[in-house]
Amino acid sequence: MMVSGGDFVDLLRQTGYRFPGEQLGDAAGDRALPFEPTEGTTILAFQYADGVLVAGDRRATAGNMVLYDRADKVIDLDAYSVMAISGSPAVAFEIARILEHAFQYYRRRLLQEMSLPAKLRRLSLLIKDNLPLAMQGIGAVIPVFATYDRRDGRGKIYFYDALGAQFESADFTTTGSGSPAIRGAMYYLNRWSGRRFAEMDRETAIGHALQLLDTASEYDSATGRYERSADIFPSVKTITASGLAEIETEELRRLYAQYVDGEEAGRA
Amino acid sequence: MMLSDEPYRWAEAVANRREYIEDQIRPGSPVVGVGYEGGILLLTLSQSQQKLFEVYDRIGLAGIGHSTDIEKLRQAAIDMAHAIGFNYSEDDVTLRQIVYFGLGPAMKAGFDDVVRSPFLARVLLAELDGQEGAQVFYTVDYDGAFHRRETWAVVGGVAEADLMMGRVFSELDAEALSLTDAADVALRAWAMGRWVGTMEDVPDDVAELEEMADGVDVDDVLKTELQNLEVEAVVLGRSLVGKNKYRNLDAEEIAPALARFKAD
Repeated sequence: MMVSGGDFVDLLRQTGYRFPGEQLGDAAGDRALPFEPTEGTTILAFQYADGVLVAGDRRATAGNMVLYDRADKVIDLDAYSVMAISGSPAVAFEIARILEHAFQYYRRRLLQEMSLPAKLRRLSLLIKDNLPLAMQGIGAVIPVFATYDRRDGRGKIYFYDALGAQFESADFTTTGSGSPAIRGAMYYLNRWSGRRFAEMDRETAIGHALQLLDTASEYDSATGRYERSADIFPSVKTITASGLAEIETEELRRLYAQYVDGEEAGRA
Repeated sequence: MMLSDEPYRWAEAVANRREYIEDQIRPGSPVVGVGYEGGILLLTLSQSQQKLFEVYDRIGLAGIGHSTDIEKLRQAAIDMAHAIGFNYSEDDVTLRQIVYFGLGPAMKAGFDDVVRSPFLARVLLAELDGQEGAQVFYTVDYDGAFHRRETWAVVGGVAEADLMMGRVFSELDAEALSLTDAADVALRAWAMGRWVGTMEDVPDDVAELEEMADGVDVDDVLKTELQNLEVEAVVLGRSLVGKNKYRNLDAEEIAPALARFKAD
């Protein structure tokens, strides 16, 4: 049989690599976990005027312990796509690392870009491969995949369930432990605030993302908020026709002051 | 026939094999790599078939010879780079590893295995800003012999072509070249390699070959070749944003260097 190659997971298996979920097997059985799994928390994404905005808080928790307040849960995959994660960071970072290499490997090996449907499919397969860990309750990953589709000329947001089913979100999505606290707020904003997300300019979009993450942290202890003492802001990234951009701390500081603490704070 | 029992026949078989391979590779289009102020330029001429390839973030590959053999080597290099890059880190992917432990041994094994077809190819690889320096090149011959160079490297159809191409680079401060000057010198080197590759008989005496080379009108060779072939050029460019430093040059970027060689 002729194969074109280009499947990075195949290549990894040839080098002896096994995905974390594959290694677990029945080892853990039904026993209670001997440790509290580490988890990441609130992610949101929405369409705004120029493309897609993706934001996440920076906290990683293990049970009621705050493990880390500088986690970056919005992970770059290539120049036009990010994966934002809630759930187990260990597995999520592994998935992101595999995907980042898989996209590059495919492009270099087959001398063509991987198509968007194929990228979505690769992510879905990895989530399925992770099922054993998800079933054990220690490694579920619920990612949001966001990209700018240059062929259609618009941003796209996809979310997944723990089994790997993929859904495209029309306007906005949010996942993670803080998401119940803001899902309704996002619906309300988009429907009745008089300004849909899709109509917001860049700064307004960033400002609203900061407000929403602050709201999540108000009700969810596993979602971090802006840390004044350490000057840690949420991760906020935009994806537009010109590619992926991370919002710098300086701009986040200014917009945080304006939208969360300041003059815009009282307005929806 | 037990080759090991008959040393003379063995030597003869190897010599025949070399002759066969060199005859196959000789008429191909040479490839040139040269450092410039912004990184590394790889350049060749072809009939619109891709000859320059991205291996990894800072590594490029070019070859002369049988296209499917070059393809096999390209894929092997990409596999190795990505497996190391994932299992260790991007910084652990080095051109030295790819050549010493990947392409070199693979090509040597192909050459030694007399019952199989050898790799009918010679390849050139370039690495930008790696552990070995800012501009490092390796060339790997069809028999697996490899050579390391800094600032520039070439592979032509035969070893004599490499020698004549190399003369173009003498007294050149490659690191300070502009992109246009780098493309200019690469085109001249390519033309010299082409000239040797198309000779009926390449003289054994290097001095004699050099004397003949001095009489070659490089501009003329290029003008003729450019009627049928197109320039293909890529850079490993330091100024590119992100990890990936490999980029195709478009026609406008190469046009200034090409202008003087275009037929009137």
